[in-house]
Amino acid sequence: MDKGVLLYCFDTKDTRYSDVAKKCISLVARNLKLPVTVVCNTEAKQNLLGVKGIDIVTCVPKQGNKRNYKGEQIDWFNQERFRAYEHSPYEQTLLMDCDFFCFSNELLKYFDSTYDFLCHDKVHDATGSNRILGKNECLLPIVWATVIYFRKTTKVKMIFEMVNYVKNNYKHFSNLYRIKFRNFRNDYAFAIALHQLNGMMPHKEFFAEKMFMIDQNTKVVKFLDNGIVFARDGKINSIEHIDIHVLDKECCYV
Amino acid sequence: MDLKSFKEFSDRAFDFQTAKKNELEKTKSRQVVVYNGRIFSADAQTICLVSTLKQLQKQFYMLDKNNNPVMISDPDDFLRILIEKNQETLNSYHSLFERFKQKGK
Repeated sequence: MDKGVLLYCFDTKDTRYSDVAKKCISLVARNLKLPVTVVCNTEAKQNLLGVKGIDIVTCVPKQGNKRNYKGEQIDWFNQERFRAYEHSPYEQTLLMDCDFFCFSNELLKYFDSTYDFLCHDKVHDATGSNRILGKNECLLPIVWATVIYFRKTTKVKMIFEMVNYVKNNYKHFSNLYRIKFRNFRNDYAFAIALHQLNGMMPHKEFFAEKMFMIDQNTKVVKFLDNGIVFARDGKINSIEHIDIHVLDKECCYV
Repeated sequence: MDLKSFKEFSDRAFDFQTAKKNELEKTKSRQVVVYNGRIFSADAQTICLVSTLKQLQKQFYMLDKNNNPVMISDPDDFLRILIEKNQETLNSYHSLFERFKQKGK
């Protein structure tokens, strides 16, 4: 197959990511009109079986992880993403987090580019409070693994294999690059892999736009046709016709 | 004027500024175009550069957003695309801006 979207979705005892993925899939179908392949565990698969027009690849995550979510440590499976090159049936793939909502078709244009690997290096906090990025979290500038566009080339295969190498030696690399966040995070793994493969020079090829994002403490209060209404510190705001990464995992129940 | 009025005014200004910032960022994001396989922004700077170079040369090289060179072999076509995209996005920003202004009154 030529072009498509690849999602990773692993339900845990704390979070049904498959419910979030359903929302994401419906927006991809409406706005990008691309085929979708979902890599998921058996728990998520049960919930996704009824969703039309998707291919499901079952994958048992080998390693678990923990993340801080609204003040609690919860289970998290995020260590399979390096297998995207192998899992993707497409020549050109948009690898996305299932909590990234495509309220526009802006990402489609990158399929016409000659780049073989693109991700975001900048984010825009839609709440206006600039709380997404901390300071001095790593020696390397972060890249965002939330949305990755890639083609199947030798170079890209090497990037994903390097991410696996970084993942397997994460303690060493997190010390080397002085990463504050101690648990494995794909954003850093990709940043490190790109840096290592670029001859220890900064990687400089990214999507041109910033990725819109709202943090986990910003609550989605309503889904619009092509946007969301969200609340933070008693302030309500909305955004429409722009893709956005939403960290509030309960967003799909509003 | 009491403190409550100041607070309300300030809150409204915050909402307006946040919405404006979001719309402006959205506008910039929608100005991104892929031409000859490379990534450009249909912003004033790119439009001016293309417009200037095309007066002197039939074809020329430009750097894309990731600093990669690309040959522009049909400057008229490229400029038309840039201007269309620029005006389309600014039009939609303008309509929203007017709506915000009305709400703020």
